Amino acid sequence: MTLSWWAGTRLVAARAMAEGFAGKGWRIVTGLMLLGGIAAVVIPRLLGSGDTTYTLAVVGPAKPALVAQLAASARAGDFTVEYKALADEGAVARAVRDGKADAGLVGEGASARLYVPTLGVGVFPALVSGAVQANVTVDALIASGLTPTQISALQDLPAPKQVVLGPADDPRRAGVGFGVGLVLYLALILAGSGIATTVATEKSTRISEVLLAVLRPTQLLVGTVLGVGLLALIQISAAAIPVAVSLFASHSSALPSDAAPDVALGVVWFVLGLSVYAFVFAGLAALVDKITEVSSAILPANALLIGSYLIAVTVVVSSPNGWFSVAASMFPMSAPMVMPMRWASGGVPGWQLVVSMLLTAGAAVLLARLASVIYKRGVVRTGQRVSLRDVLRPT
Amino acid sequence: MLEALDVRHRFGERVVLDGVDLRVAPGVLTGLLGPNGAGKTTLMRLVLGVIDPDYGRILFDGAPVTGAERQRWGYMPQERGLYPAMKAGDQVIHFGRLHGLSKAEATRRARELLDEVGLGDRWDDRSDRLSGGMQQRLQLAASLVHDPRVIILDEPFAGLDPVAVAELASTLKDRVAGGSTIVFSSHQLDLVQDLCETIVMLDLGRTVLSGTVAELRASSGTRQLRLTVHGDRGWLGAFPDVTIASDHSDELRLALPTGVDPLAVLDAARAAGPVSDFGLDLPTLSELFLVAAGRASEAAAS
Repeated sequence: MTLSWWAGTRLVAARAMAEGFAGKGWRIVTGLMLLGGIAAVVIPRLLGSGDTTYTLAVVGPAKPALVAQLAASARAGDFTVEYKALADEGAVARAVRDGKADAGLVGEGASARLYVPTLGVGVFPALVSGAVQANVTVDALIASGLTPTQISALQDLPAPKQVVLGPADDPRRAGVGFGVGLVLYLALILAGSGIATTVATEKSTRISEVLLAVLRPTQLLVGTVLGVGLLALIQISAAAIPVAVSLFASHSSALPSDAAPDVALGVVWFVLGLSVYAFVFAGLAALVDKITEVSSAILPANALLIGSYLIAVTVVVSSPNGWFSVAASMFPMSAPMVMPMRWASGGVPGWQLVVSMLLTAGAAVLLARLASVIYKRGVVRTGQRVSLRDVLRPT
Repeated sequence: MLEALDVRHRFGERVVLDGVDLRVAPGVLTGLLGPNGAGKTTLMRLVLGVIDPDYGRILFDGAPVTGAERQRWGYMPQERGLYPAMKAGDQVIHFGRLHGLSKAEATRRARELLDEVGLGDRWDDRSDRLSGGMQQRLQLAASLVHDPRVIILDEPFAGLDPVAVAELASTLKDRVAGGSTIVFSSHQLDLVQDLCETIVMLDLGRTVLSGTVAELRASSGTRQLRLTVHGDRGWLGAFPDVTIASDHSDELRLALPTGVDPLAVLDAARAAGPVSDFGLDLPTLSELFLVAAGRASEAAAS
């Protein structure tokens, strides 16, 4: 007959989720998030901004040595090369002039001629030039008596290591960090307002009294945070899943190979961020008397959340290892949004990540305790809005 | 027996309860009465464990009340205490499960109770789409779903029409006759004076009156003897403590202090002339409250 702590908490969470699933508002927002996710996948393809293809006009079939050289460049530079086999040099020149080919190549070796639309038009003619020169070099090396193995070893000489002086080691990985930060921000805003609305509804309708006569305040608080937090996670997943499926399924080079750990870390930060903010939202919402007062009551928490996000997208992105960014990534209220962005920008020492997580987790425990006190005292004070000072005054 | 003994509580600087006692026996419908702001709701919240008292004890059958014990109680708060967007049936099931019923048992009980309160055909309706009276009956069903042995109702009659008042009163009488321990609060003293057997009256956080309604009214010093009698009032000289409350044409109202036998006064009137009608009017609970609250505030002032 007697409910365990967890059984009671689970009932509260399940009810919050059932109400969310049944609610029109939740379904509309989730639908919009799903559409947003699908749009993020489909629209760039429709606009054709995806793969780059260069066309090379040649007389007759392209020479295998040239095709092999350009294929290696295409793999490294993430583009495709198409060959337009034409009858004679005049046709090649016309194709380039009319814009039907990006460049035209006639002849081979030292006598080869490269047709380009204008001088210094871009990277592709330079790559074709390089390929022709490389083939001439290989021929010369063979003529001088080197074996194919020796030539191959020469071609595999390591390139100098690039030292990036800009803000991010890898702009694509930084892009993943930016995406994770944005998703976390949206998730926390959604979950925070959902939790605050649930708490204020329960208080203003006096349901909380009926519940507190049966449940302990921590059960009600944790159950609500769990239920509404999961609802927000589902909404965010609705937006993220189409993007993730598309990127992983196509093995797109838009997603760097080390994106998975960054995304996984984002999930950990969502849990930490929710733990820090959810209880604050719940505690503040327990101070209201009417449901209409919720937005003003949770203003301090929203301001912190929005402020942290703005810091993350402005200061942190441009200077991920500046002192201010480091401080913001250690401060528990901003860490859940700042640290994932800093981390994905590369160059963050592992100990900073660990310290930041520990500080955030510690703050979450303290804030949850404080919020429980505010919640328990605030939720039974009806008739007027309760001030924080009144609630925190020792009895 | 449910008891709250010498309960004191304050919110910030404001003293809400100042040494209040409440005793609720099983099988005796008990009213916790008093004007708005008297401290009734706070006392109920303390009894339910929603808040902890600054001082005092809450006992059930002589032992301190545990969380497990409270899970067997039912509570209906002043406002409806319902999830606005939740369906009526789901609402009752949810509260049943919170009180430890299995889903199947809670569903079975919810069906029975909604039928009993006349909401069997509103199972799938959201509670905010129901009328005020229906919401009140739904809340009653939610608070009774686990067949509680203690039932606490905060202002259950507020805002109800006379038919709904009679229906709720009948439900409470049935439950209390079955041995339940029931206490309800009300600020509408005269509305509930015929329903309560025992009352505790609060004013400004203090107990101003407590006992059985019949005894309190009968022993009050403000009983009035109503006589329709013609002629001279000289016979009243034999009762120096009796005062005339009103005397219009033949209708005479006499205030009888404690110790004066109303039958002796009636006999004297009949001896003086024909009495065509008579009756003894006991004070209403409102009148008793005003007298008791006045006495209490004088005592507090001194």
